[in-house]
Amino acid sequence: MHAVRNLRLCTKDCLCLFVCPTGATDTEDGQIDFTKCLEGCRLCVDVCPSHAISLLPDNYPPQQEKSQPVKEALQALAASKARQERTALAVAQSAESPVTRQLARAAATSAKLCAEECFRESGYMLPQSRETRELLTALRDTPQPEDFPKEAVDRLLELLK
Amino acid sequence: MTVEKMRELSSGELSALCSNLAKACTKQFRTEEARLFTQLADYYQEKTTPAQGEGFEELAALVERDLTEGYPQASRLAKEEGDRGALRAVVWGEKVTKLLKSLLARYEKQQDALLEKTSVYVCEICGFIFVGDVPPEICPICKVPSFKLQKIKREAV
Repeated sequence: MHAVRNLRLCTKDCLCLFVCPTGATDTEDGQIDFTKCLEGCRLCVDVCPSHAISLLPDNYPPQQEKSQPVKEALQALAASKARQERTALAVAQSAESPVTRQLARAAATSAKLCAEECFRESGYMLPQSRETRELLTALRDTPQPEDFPKEAVDRLLELLK
Repeated sequence: MTVEKMRELSSGELSALCSNLAKACTKQFRTEEARLFTQLADYYQEKTTPAQGEGFEELAALVERDLTEGYPQASRLAKEEGDRGALRAVVWGEKVTKLLKSLLARYEKQQDALLEKTSVYVCEICGFIFVGDVPPEICPICKVPSFKLQKIKREAV
């Protein structure tokens, strides 16, 4: 468990600088230096008057198992939302009125967000999950077009071990 | 996910799946992983073609199907399994979809007059579309603070 700062909540009271035994909170970018932060120390977390610092687990517990019917129902909804995004994108591209295009872009954005939510709850909440790993492995093991960013998939499989 | 199952997914679905994972990485402060998933999401977004020739009528029909089939079915299953996470997503998604349905119906009647003199926002968390100049302090669907409501700009004519 290492500390991270929510920059939106930080009110620069800088008590973390005062309590941190290693100077991990004293950085140029305002984020806490992971390499200096002491495992589970949490002095800065408790002292911060704005509750802007929290501890981030290095290892997450395994993702909760999802039942197959729930997964399938959510993924069917995600497919439907992705389909709606394509319809909305067509309107956003072809409509004459800028107002129609604006509404279509809002609908496309909304559909995309709903699809993301459905995937999230169907086994893809954690990038460390077995499901994510299987997805990345399937992407790697399938013949892909030339422009496919294969190195991104390889690197992710390496990083998310 | 097997290779066969993955192949069945459209590029739009793969894009949403990867952008969801990019967000998950951001929340864990995994910046490199977030960048790589975003790269994959953008790749699939690029491959996603608009459904040429379709309009709001087709969109309304797809929305209606979610409301009569997709959401009730997912809701029933999530309740049966006691899957709180899934139920949360379904409750929010269903509300967002109902409001989209009513917005499309109002737009069909009033056309541009409905939105001409006002702004449009989308909640980045749940997808709620807000029509009005001042977004509510918290999203009425998912209760996130208003800074998460993103303004959808109107292009210049």
